[in-house]
Amino acid sequence: MSWSITGTGAVASVGANVNEIFDNLCAGLSGRRPLQVFDRSRYTSPFAYEMDDRGEESGDVPGRATRWLLAAVEQAAREADLGDDLSGVPVIVGSGLREHRSMELWHRTGVPFDGERLHFGAALQDRFGVTEAYCVANACAASLYALALGADLLAEGGAPAVIVAGVDMVTESMFGLVERMNPVPPQEVRPFDRQRRGAVMGEAAVAVVLRPADSPYQGRARATLRGVGVNCDAFHVTAPSAEGIAAAIRQAHEQAGIKPESVDLVMLHGTGTLLNDAAEASAMQEVFGAHVSTPVMTAIKSMTGHTSGASGLLGLIVAARALAEGRIPPTLGLTEPIDEVAGFRFPFGQSLHRQVDVAQVNAFGFGGVNAVAIVEAVR
Amino acid sequence: MTVVMVGAATVLPSNPTLAELATPAHRVPGPADPGAHITLRGLRYKDHATRLALAAAQVALVDARMWDGDRLTVDGNRVAVVVSSNYGNADTVCRAVETIARESTAGTSPMDLPNTSSNVVASSVAIRFGLRGANVMLCNGLTSGLDALFWARMLVRTGRAAQVLAVGVEPDNAVVRRLTGDENVLDGAAAVVVEHPATARERRVPARARYAAYERAAGVDQCLSRLARHASAPAAWYAPEPSAAGTDVLTGLRRHDLARVWGQASGALGVLQCAAAVGHFDGGGAGPVYLVNGGAPERVTAGVVLDAPGAVG
Repeated sequence: MSWSITGTGAVASVGANVNEIFDNLCAGLSGRRPLQVFDRSRYTSPFAYEMDDRGEESGDVPGRATRWLLAAVEQAAREADLGDDLSGVPVIVGSGLREHRSMELWHRTGVPFDGERLHFGAALQDRFGVTEAYCVANACAASLYALALGADLLAEGGAPAVIVAGVDMVTESMFGLVERMNPVPPQEVRPFDRQRRGAVMGEAAVAVVLRPADSPYQGRARATLRGVGVNCDAFHVTAPSAEGIAAAIRQAHEQAGIKPESVDLVMLHGTGTLLNDAAEASAMQEVFGAHVSTPVMTAIKSMTGHTSGASGLLGLIVAARALAEGRIPPTLGLTEPIDEVAGFRFPFGQSLHRQVDVAQVNAFGFGGVNAVAIVEAVR
Repeated sequence: MTVVMVGAATVLPSNPTLAELATPAHRVPGPADPGAHITLRGLRYKDHATRLALAAAQVALVDARMWDGDRLTVDGNRVAVVVSSNYGNADTVCRAVETIARESTAGTSPMDLPNTSSNVVASSVAIRFGLRGANVMLCNGLTSGLDALFWARMLVRTGRAAQVLAVGVEPDNAVVRRLTGDENVLDGAAAVVVEHPATARERRVPARARYAAYERAAGVDQCLSRLARHASAPAAWYAPEPSAAGTDVLTGLRRHDLARVWGQASGALGVLQCAAAVGHFDGGGAGPVYLVNGGAPERVTAGVVLDAPGAVG
């Protein structure tokens, strides 16, 4: 079984649509800026990869994550000729932090907030008539987990198309507690570099439209989804496990019916934290073995920041463009790679032009939830 | 292909049996006590919702003959977890922003970091029992508990899992009461184990209820009419939150208002209803039964049809 990706949409700190995001990433443009939305005196971390769209408002306003999600879904649905009436289309949203930021504002400042708005379902119903919306809060693997569920739903039949989305914004609680864990506040995300200091949060919303590959739909497919592996380390609430990650990668390859040497491009999770990067690199070494130098690998969190639950799907739409165009964004800020990535081929500093046919996208989250997707070019 | 329920459990104030969930002999006010079901050793930094879920999970796994007291009796790689909760960590998040505003991030506790992530309940359940299959944290509002049953079934049908532990949990605290605008909110958890009937037979574990159908629609009436296409003569129905519309539907049919008994149950309600239905069938009760969640006017309502385990279909 495989699935056609017939529409994509996204907003992030590096662009307001998929074209802008992809071009900016290939140009090595970073979305990092001085922290805008929070009171900086409360934090030692000075930067984030934010989308500051509050307009003239002073202080933060509720509902921004919901607004971004609707924008990404609208872009993807229109590109896939679904229009704005999505009443028969299931929408599965992956979001680590849901509308926690609005809940924080409600708690701190008393702005009105309804608990039923935490999960986006009501907003999707109001805007697009969606009655089948699901919110999967699987930490930083949320949107690729949502992709697995969406693909399963289509495989079981019933709906002509499924929309899978991911959204996350910087919340005070997560930003603050992540900062609390870092001995030195990281200035930027530097995946797999010896000088990496930890993750810096970013913001994004992403959506894709999936159809069964054999559907009668005549429109253009952006890429073909071949499989998504999902599992849980059952190891630790925050620390990753190389063994669990490797098992998820193997599961994805098996679902897609491919071997490691068939993979041309890997969108690494690459959060720039000491533990994630080491565990992810070890897992890749273990699964790819002698073929670890075959694919090009890159980590776009070096430019988008850690977009939490949205990050997996953001990697997927970038992979889809790379498959279509033969351009691969660089891993910014990677100058001294760690020993664990010996043999990995990164585009350092600037984008790489190379035809790639099969891409692997990694996403791992707190609690040891792992999700790995395999996508293929449409030629 | 259908799936069956092979285990069920609840952790609630006054520790009712499954059969007593709909009509408890007495209800002791106050919080549910996970320590009445499991040892709390090693759970010092877990939030209340996680402890409730761990207790319900263990009792359900024992009930499904998958846990023998200290280890799994099935392959943990093939067991998935689906947890439904809307407000499990709302108090942790709100407390963290208060502390940051007052004392900057230096005042926060690093032990709160995992609890800030909404999936801490689902991953903690996996870690405690070694469940390495798919692990899904569903936070889907009023319908979330029945949605969790739907996804549990999906994970079995697609072969991603042999068994799925589905848990619904909500804690009672000041933040949840303010968010829901309700002083009477559930403090507790429910868990059920979903399995393919063939593997349940191989394990010689009895099926306790049969999952027959799932529907979603805008409004209670439309959802009920869709459920009727699958089973037109239900023996009873488990109603949505009392605040929802639909108090005047299915009149004449035996109605169980679990949220009236145990408090507004949000993401836990669907799983709680399922556990109660298992108790109903355990006692020889007739099927089919409807479970209904949601029900705010014009908002999405979800419904599940459960049948007695021996029913043909």
